[in-house]
Formats: sequence, structure tokens, C-alpha cells
Amino acid sequence: MAYVLQQLLTKSASRLPEKTAVWARGRSISYRELDELSNRLAHLLQQHGVKKGDRVGLLFPKCLESVVCMFAIMKAGGVYVPIDPQAPGDRVSYILNNCGIEVLITLDEKRRAFDDATRQGLRHCIVLDEARESGNGNGIIPWSLLSQYPASHAPAVTLTETDLAYILYTSGSTGRPKGVMLSHQNALTFVEWCADKFQITDRDRLSNHAPLHFDLSVFDVYNAIEAGATVYLVTEEIALFPTTLAKFMETHEISVWYSVPSALVLLLLHADLKAERLPRLRTILFAGEVFPMKYLKQLAELLPAVELDNLYGPTETNVCTYYRVDRERLAGMEKLPIGIACENTEVFAVNDQDEIVAKPGGSGELCVRGPSVTYGYWGDTEKTRKMVVPNRFQPNFEEKIYRTGDLVTLAEDGNYYFVGRRDSMIKSRGYRIELGEIESALLSHPAVREAAAVAVPDDVVGNRIKAIVASHSLQSIKAADLQQHCATRIPRYMIPELIEFRESLPKTSTGKVDRVQLSRDSWPVAV
Amino acid sequence: MTTANQATIKDQVRQFIREELASAKGISTFRDDESLMANGVIDSLGVFRLVTFMEENLGVRVGDEEIRAENLESVDKIEQLILSKIKKN
Repeated sequence: MAYVLQQLLTKSASRLPEKTAVWARGRSISYRELDELSNRLAHLLQQHGVKKGDRVGLLFPKCLESVVCMFAIMKAGGVYVPIDPQAPGDRVSYILNNCGIEVLITLDEKRRAFDDATRQGLRHCIVLDEARESGNGNGIIPWSLLSQYPASHAPAVTLTETDLAYILYTSGSTGRPKGVMLSHQNALTFVEWCADKFQITDRDRLSNHAPLHFDLSVFDVYNAIEAGATVYLVTEEIALFPTTLAKFMETHEISVWYSVPSALVLLLLHADLKAERLPRLRTILFAGEVFPMKYLKQLAELLPAVELDNLYGPTETNVCTYYRVDRERLAGMEKLPIGIACENTEVFAVNDQDEIVAKPGGSGELCVRGPSVTYGYWGDTEKTRKMVVPNRFQPNFEEKIYRTGDLVTLAEDGNYYFVGRRDSMIKSRGYRIELGEIESALLSHPAVREAAAVAVPDDVVGNRIKAIVASHSLQSIKAADLQQHCATRIPRYMIPELIEFRESLPKTSTGKVDRVQLSRDSWPVAV
Repeated sequence: MTTANQATIKDQVRQFIREELASAKGISTFRDDESLMANGVIDSLGVFRLVTFMEENLGVRVGDEEIRAENLESVDKIEQLILSKIKKN
């Protein structure tokens, strides 16, 4: 039985030591090497003060070492925090500070780009490339130092499944990202469900399309390691070009694929995707956004023997429902269900009268109960209290449920269907985006008086972002200046593609910005 | 193809990338030999906007199989791709 994630590696390494565990950027690493290297790094971390529960940051593009670090940090008893390597400096500094990261694994150029305050907050930086100024008592540790630490075993640390494994930062409505805390139990609940449901074996070859700070990667990495399979990391240069990506799937004979639907749509539209090129492909999982039906039907036709599964769930629960695509029903389907609850998870919708929706046709907010539910947000008890709430539908003992904020309908066949959001969170390319976070970034520009961000529906990526801005009188401001300003505060995928200037923003009768009106104005839009 | 025309093509490519792609990512400067993927100027949608621009404004046809990093990674590479296509015609 595995109760912490690193046991998945230790077990597979003793069973299949010479098998390739991870492939990335033309390099690969065996199970034995991955186990040994993560043992060495765990000892190094421990010797440099990392204790049980300490957060250790990862800030570099996805590579073999990413997986080494994830296991090593957990073996040292720590909690890993993968940070988007393309995030602006301001956001990176916020995350480091917000969850108290004192040890960071990064590249020397990234370390040197930090401002003084950020650098001073870090006790140690482990640099993957050789640092210019390492070894002078300045806290910089070169990766090459690993060879001095023991490989044969991990340091002794007492952990239970309720300890934290990792923290994933997602967009926050108040203008700052929030760190979702996930325990070993949270992750393993999902991993074990997937292992059983999708029957992953050591003959499988998994892809990892999602970035590591995105929870889709939890399946790719840990289910591959659990089964003794190989995971092939898709890096940015591959992901951007559909024909290159299709070639990657073909060359590595990927058998299980998991990504956001938009990646699959781009493959469908621009790569010569054919069943005969992908003879080993047996399962495609997708999550993160709604799959446009017309493209899903095309995909199902193109790959008739491949099983297709729609997985649903916010980072706070990883995946909580799933729907296995029924090809016979698909032709007549207008909307894809998010399905039924995963085993060991309970979901129910709570309506406006605060009652559980029991009958088909009813709608409400989807709530999730079970061991996959997060403890909440790092350092934000207020937000946690709002979203992870006592389960008042179960009187026998105290427990928490997660309110997803997603409105769903229960259908006759027992499946749930996603209807919309209770708040202003949107999805683009599978990324969660709080429009409020974009608005705060815009409003932080001194010339901006009022700002609203709206989602413009898009067939391929789900949504594009548009902003409507009113500036202070007499101040002229260009869209490009505002976009540049946003780039210093929010990730690139959140920057509005289009900015429209108005003298003032439309208001509702209560004086609030009329988002409905603004959204209506933006449909359709020529970008 | 004259040198003046070549310069015009490169200018147009650079201008399109700067105004339509880089600006929306908050990036104001990039070199002609710089990787537009590494610096985040071009994302998955940007690739196709760039191709559409090349087809509609520069009159070249870009096949799906040509949409690869080797051809589109930098302003220099994009210019080479366009020039090779113009020469063929």
C-alpha cells in the first residue's frame, strides 16, 4: 500500500530498475536513476535545512530534473510548489513570499533576475545550470553537488497520508493567485482511481502535455510511475506546433494521452492525425474545459478504436467526475456530460433553497465530498472558509465539502452537465482565469479609472479575453502600454488580447459595472 | 527579389509580430534571431495568426507540415521561409 506519493517510485524502482521512467528533451532516466538521484537531492535538501512541511519551489522549464525534484522534495518531507517559469517576476515573488519558500530550485538567469527583497527571502537557491557566483557562502548550491550525497536510500522522515505533497497556484479573484494545498492522500485518491479505471500498466507510454503547475500533470507523472510505465514530457517547442506534436505521439508510440481539449482540437485541425500513425494509442483523457462537440465527434470518428474520457474537477479536488464517451450516443448528443462521481468521491448539486438536487432536471452548485478534497488555500483562511465548508448534509461527524462554484444540472441518465459559473471565473486553454485578477492588474495602472474584463467565446481555446477600459480624463493611454503593464503582474495567458477604450463603463441600476451588457457587446468580436 | 523588397518583407513580419503578438503579451522588444517561443511572444494561437498573416498579406501558402519551429522560430527563420517560397514561384 502506498500512502505517500514517493512510495510509488520506490516500488517501481525495485521492480523495474532499468526501465525508462521519464523522457524529456531527448534525454531519459531509468527508474533506478530517478530513485537514486531523488535520494541524493532529498539528502542535500535536508542538510540545507529543509524540514517536514517546508515548501520548496520549482522555477524552470519542464525537464527530467523536474520529476527528480518533485520526488526529492517529498522524500525530504517537504512540499513542492511548481511555479510557471514564464510567470512575471512580480507574481513569482508573490508566490515565494506567500507560501514562505526559503529554498528554490531554479536556473541561474532566473535567480539573477530577482529583485533584492526576493533574493534576500531565499535561504538557498539550487541552480540546475552552473552559477557564476556559487559556493561563496551566498546560498547558491550547484546541481553538481548532488554527487556528494547518498543515493541508496532516502532520508528518514515520518510522514502520513495527511501531510501536504504539493501546492498549486491558480488565479485568484482578488488580484493575487491562491495556493491550493494538496495532501498525499488527495493525490493518491485520484492516482489510484485512475490506475484502476484506465488500467495503466508497465507497457503503457504516457504523454505529459500539461505544465507541471497544472494539475493534469499529476495523472501523467504519478500514474506512469505507479504502473512502471514511461512518461514522455511534451515541452513548449513541441506543444506549439501540431504537426511536431503529432510526430511526437507517433515516434514515442504514446498509448495514453491526457490534455486540455484545445490541444486536441489543434491536432485535429492542423496535424495529419490518423489511426494508422498511432497504433498503440488506446486512451485519450481530456479535462480543463468544455470540449466543443463538433470537434469531439470528428476526433471519435478519426480514432475509432480509442477510448475517450471526459474528466472534470477543479484543482481543489483534482478530478471528481468522469464521463466515458459512448460512441453510439455521441452522434445525437448536443452537449457532453461531465458524468458521474469517481469512486471514493461523492458529488451532489445544492440548489438555491440550500437543498440537495435529487431529481433529474434540477440544477445547483456542484459540491464534492471525499478524500480528494483540498484542505484549502495556503495562508488564506477566509477564502478557505468560503469554499471548503462543513458538510451540513451529514450530521454524524465533522467533515468538509468543497463548493466548486460550478453550476450543474442532473440529467435523467444520472449524469451531471456543466451549465456555467456562479462567479466570474473563466477558462481559456484549460487555464482557470479570474476576470477580477485581470481587472486588478488593469486598475493598478495609474491612468486607468475603470476596467472590466470579459470572456469572448472561442471555438478552439474556449475563451479569449477582452478588456474595456476608461482612463482618467486627459490621460491618453495605448493598449500596448496597458498590456505591457499587465505583463508585469499576471501570466501571459491572462493578458487581454483586445482592449477597448470608452469614456465610461455601463452600469447596472445598483451602480455596478454591467458585465452582461459588456459581454453582449463583445459577441461576436473581430480580433 | 531586390534587397529593398527583402527588407520590406522582414519589416512587415517584424511589425506584425510586434504589434499583433508581442504587444498582447506585454513584450516590446525582441531580436531578429531570438526564439519567439522561448521568450513567449508566440503561443499556440499566435502560430496560426502568424501563418494567416503570411498567407493573406505576403501571398505565400504555408502548409500544415511547414508549421514547425525550424520555419517559424524567429524573425530570421520566418523571412527565410517566405523568401524560399517566393523564389520557387
